[in-house]
Amino acid sequence: MTTSTADAVIVERSWLRFWIPRLFLFALVVGLSAWIDLTDTMLGRALAPVLAVLARPGLARFDIAVVVGVLVIANVELVRLIPFRYQIGVVWAELLVLFLAFFYSFNLSFPFIFERIGFLITQGAVTTIYISMISIIVASALAMLAALARLSANGPAYAVATFYISFFRGTPLLLQVYMIYLGLPQLGLFLDAVPSGIIALSLCYGAYMAEIFRAGIQGVHKGQREAAVALGLKGSLVMRKIILPQAMRLVIPPIGNQFISMLKDSSLVSVMGVWELMYLARTEGRAEFRIMEMLITAAIIYWIISFAFELVQAQIERHLGKGVKP
Amino acid sequence: MKRLFGLFAIVALAAGTFGASAAQAGKVLDRVLANKTLVVATDANYPPQSFLDKNNKLDGFDVDVAKEVAKRLGVKTRFVTPDWEIIVAGNWGKRWDISIGSMTPTKQRARVLDFPGIYYFTPAVFAVHKDNTSIKSVADLNGKVIGVCGGCTYEWYLKKNLVIDAEGAPPFKYQVTAGKIRSYPDDSAPFQDLRLGDGVRLDAVLSAMPNIQAAIKNGYPMRIINPPVFYEPLSVAIDKGDPEFGARLGAIIKAMHADGTLTKLSMKWYGVDLTTAKPASS
Repeated sequence: MTTSTADAVIVERSWLRFWIPRLFLFALVVGLSAWIDLTDTMLGRALAPVLAVLARPGLARFDIAVVVGVLVIANVELVRLIPFRYQIGVVWAELLVLFLAFFYSFNLSFPFIFERIGFLITQGAVTTIYISMISIIVASALAMLAALARLSANGPAYAVATFYISFFRGTPLLLQVYMIYLGLPQLGLFLDAVPSGIIALSLCYGAYMAEIFRAGIQGVHKGQREAAVALGLKGSLVMRKIILPQAMRLVIPPIGNQFISMLKDSSLVSVMGVWELMYLARTEGRAEFRIMEMLITAAIIYWIISFAFELVQAQIERHLGKGVKP
Repeated sequence: MKRLFGLFAIVALAAGTFGASAAQAGKVLDRVLANKTLVVATDANYPPQSFLDKNNKLDGFDVDVAKEVAKRLGVKTRFVTPDWEIIVAGNWGKRWDISIGSMTPTKQRARVLDFPGIYYFTPAVFAVHKDNTSIKSVADLNGKVIGVCGGCTYEWYLKKNLVIDAEGAPPFKYQVTAGKIRSYPDDSAPFQDLRLGDGVRLDAVLSAMPNIQAAIKNGYPMRIINPPVFYEPLSVAIDKGDPEFGARLGAIIKAMHADGTLTKLSMKWYGVDLTTAKPASS
C-alpha cells in the first residue's frame, strides 16, 4: 500500500514538474503576443484565411497569439530532442533570424548602408578598438594597484585607494570626460580629445575593476597564504606567485564584462569630436536623415567586436581552468 | 623606495607622452598664420550647414564659408568636430581657432566668446507633423509640447529669455507660450521624435527654416507653420582675447558680403539669399 502511494506521489509530482513550466511559458507567450496584437503582421495576414474559418474576427489577436504560443512550445520541445551542442547552434540561428526579420521590417535603405559601411569600419571601428585597447591596459594596471593598496596595511595607500574608488565609481563617466576635457584647461592643462577620453575611461573602469580584483584576491582560500608563509615565502612573492594566479581565474568573467563595457563606453569620446564608431554612425545618418540604417549597422559592428572579446575570454578561462575540476 | 621612483617615472612618462601644454591667451592670429592652417570647429550633425557627404568629407554652407575665410587669410583649413556644448563653452586654448557653425550671438555667449562678423540670417520657424489638422497658425501652438535643440536660441525663445546681442538684429515678439518644452542634444533630434506621429512625443518643433526644409526634402513628414517667429543673425565665433584676429575676420566677412560671395553661397545651399536682415513679420 505504502509503495503504491509513494509511487503515486512521485508520478503526480513529475507530471506537474513537466507541465507547469510549459504552461507558464505558453501563458507568457500567448499573453505577450495578444498584448502586442499581431493581426497586422506578416504572420497575422498569413493566418487570416485560416481564422476566417472560425468566423470570429473580434478575437483574431487572441487566436493568433494561441497559434504563436503553440509554435513556440513545439519549437522548444523539438530542439531539446537534438544533442546539446547542436541545440545551442539551432537556437542561436533562430534568434538571429528573428532579429534580422525585425530589422528587415524597418524598410532600411541597403544601398545607403553599403555606401557608408567601409568608412564606418576603417575609421570608426578602428578608432574605437584602439581607444578601448589602450584604456583596457591602463585601467587594468590602475585597478591592480588600487586593489593591492586597498588590501594593504599602509594607511595613506589605503586612503588614496578608497577615495579614488569611491569617487570614480560614484560619478558618471560622461561627467568625468567633461571634467578632464573642459575642467583641466582651467588649470592650464590642455589635453587633446583622445588622451582625455582614454584617461577618463581608464580612471573610471580602473575603479570598478579594482573592486573586482579585490574580490578575486579575497576569494582565494586563506589557507593558501598560510601554507606559503609556512613554506618560507615572503611578502610580495606570496602575492605574485601564489595568490594572484589563483585569483585570476575568479576574476576573468567579471573583468571580461568590464572590457566589453569599456568597448561601448568608448563612444563617449564622441562628445569631444573624435571620429569613432558611434559618432560616425550618428553623423553619417544625420547627413541624409537616415539614422536607423547607421545605428543598426553600428550596433552589429559593436556586437561583432564584443563577440571577439568573448571568444578570447573563453580561451583564457579554458587555459586558467586547466588544473581545476569543473 | 625603488618602487616609488619607478612609479614617479611612469607618471612623468605618461604626462610627457600625452603632450599637455599650458594655456596661451590671445595670439590666435599669429598661430594661424604661422601654421598656415585655420582650425575650424563645426558640429557635423547639422545639414545643410555642416554634414558628412558621400565621400565622408565635411560639406555644407558653413564649411564653404569657412574655406572661403581661410582662403582670404591665405591659409588652409582643418576641421574638427566637437559637440556643440563644448564649442559654446569657450576657453578653447589651442584646440581650434574659430567656430563657423551658425552660432547666434547672445549676451550669455558673449561672456565667453567674441563674434567678429554676422554672415547670414536664418528664419526660425515652427513645424508640425504633416497629419496634424488642428494647428494652422502660430497662435494655435500655445500650450503644446514643443521640441527644440537644447542650449540653442530656439530653446531660449520658448523660455522667453532670448537676448540676441548683435547689431542689425531684427526685433521680435514672444508669440508662443509652450505647454511643455522638450530639449534635445542637437537640432535634428526633435525631428526624429516629431516624425513618429502627430502628438506621439511632440506636437511641434522650432528650428531654423533651412534645416526643416532639408528634413522635408529627405522625406520627413513635416509641415512648416508660417510666418517665421524671429530672424537670427548668425556669426562666426572666436575665443575671447584676440582682438586683432577679430578685426581681421570682421573685415573679411564685410568684404564677402560686399562682393557677393556670401550671397552666391546662400543661393547655392538655400536657394534664397539669407545674407541680409529681414523684419520679423515678412
